[in-house]
Amino acid sequence: MLLIAGIIPDNDFPLTMGEVRFSDDGNSLIVNGLSIPCSQGTAAMVSAALAVTEYLGIDAPHALLAGDTGSGTGSRRIYNYLIENVEKLAPKVLALHYCLPILGLIKQLNIALKKCRCKPILIGDAGSMYAVKAAGLAPDFDLFTPDASELAFLADPDAIHPAYIKRHLFEGEIVNAPEFITRAYEIKGAAKVLLVKGSVDYIAVEGKIIEKIDEPNIPELECIGGTGDTITGMVSAFSFAGLELTQAAIISAKANRTAGKLAHVTPASRVGEIVRNLPLVFQENLCCWSEIKHIN
Amino acid sequence: MIWNSIKSNLANKLQNNVDNTSDKGLVIFNTVEDAIKAEKLIKSAGGDCKLVAPPAALRKGCDLALEISLIEQPAIERALEARVVYNGIFPIAGEAELLQVVKVTEYDEHIMVKSGNMKIVFAKSDGTIVNTSGGGCPDIPYLNIQLVGKKLSEAPRPRDIGYTLCSLMLDRAFEEALSLWEGRKSTCC
Repeated sequence: MLLIAGIIPDNDFPLTMGEVRFSDDGNSLIVNGLSIPCSQGTAAMVSAALAVTEYLGIDAPHALLAGDTGSGTGSRRIYNYLIENVEKLAPKVLALHYCLPILGLIKQLNIALKKCRCKPILIGDAGSMYAVKAAGLAPDFDLFTPDASELAFLADPDAIHPAYIKRHLFEGEIVNAPEFITRAYEIKGAAKVLLVKGSVDYIAVEGKIIEKIDEPNIPELECIGGTGDTITGMVSAFSFAGLELTQAAIISAKANRTAGKLAHVTPASRVGEIVRNLPLVFQENLCCWSEIKHIN
Repeated sequence: MIWNSIKSNLANKLQNNVDNTSDKGLVIFNTVEDAIKAEKLIKSAGGDCKLVAPPAALRKGCDLALEISLIEQPAIERALEARVVYNGIFPIAGEAELLQVVKVTEYDEHIMVKSGNMKIVFAKSDGTIVNTSGGGCPDIPYLNIQLVGKKLSEAPRPRDIGYTLCSLMLDRAFEEALSLWEGRKSTCC
């Protein structure tokens, strides 16, 4: 099972877990009969993951979702559900996404994960990644997918949130990404693999950069809410399909850029335009980028 | 000044390895009465907090501070605003102040303003917010829905409806975007 956990920006949305599918018009996600628009956040991440699994013809992702507009109520439900059930669920890949960073609960979840007979591939992004790093648990995770400012946060040993990183780290975030990657590993602020999303995407393993991706160059992608989420969704799904995390990360970074190019995105584009183009991107490029053949 | 006192006092605590990964902050008050009142206000607003002794350097005898989760700083500020007097909110570890650096990127028809991990994008033509991106706290997808499509001059402020540090950073970007937009309006119209 590929399990993606995160909040939905609607306080009335109940805690739910189930297999996801696209609605008939392809514009929304359906989980346990509940409809979710493909907007910034976990919905965008799940949509991109589902685009991958549908293309590959493998099991659809399961999503663990709860409504939360910031108070943390839904986030706590998600943490607690996972703490109680992750051992029984035994996901192959567990991707933690938008949630209130709550250090006590992420520590409890980490203890629960250690009880799993087969440890899931652990992927952290967004608030969950903040919590994991701030709790000192980053090396227990397999992949983080920060953007440049979040990388500076991972490289700051004292920061508990990207809002409190040291000024000089933020000012150097673009040009100094390789240095910050090294530093993040040195202070144990990084997962085993890092996919740093930015004008140049970096993939690093245990402190060493193994790939840089800067083509096609689509600067408008940075403006669009959810385009980082789609990368994390794809890498989760490719990892679930059996690819090495590094290869999954490289393909996902390339696919996101290519989808942006195909969609002719502007700073005003919506993330759904990226997701809608992913099947075409896979069809035209996946064989070149990997050993994966079109299964459908 | 207050922060320096707090920090030097807490340095010993951190050296003793009590918990150097703390996400906690302290709200500092002038009086015990204010601290107790603040605790009630935060808890009645659904927040979590704990009355603790303030750092030794700031103790006057019988003082109280409130330990809070720093991630929820905006919601706590909102709960206390105009109801109780406090001197400030300070992180126990790391930087004393929120990141202040703002960056502006210009596109053909849009401007992107970035503050920390948060970005807001608006149309040069009419000041409409066309996108927000970045961040990871749970109010960010909600703020995206609430802001996108609205004019900068009419949209709600992220700090007024958000709860987390990400919303504070988005508010910084919003403030700068609004200032840029009003500056453009005054020079071009």
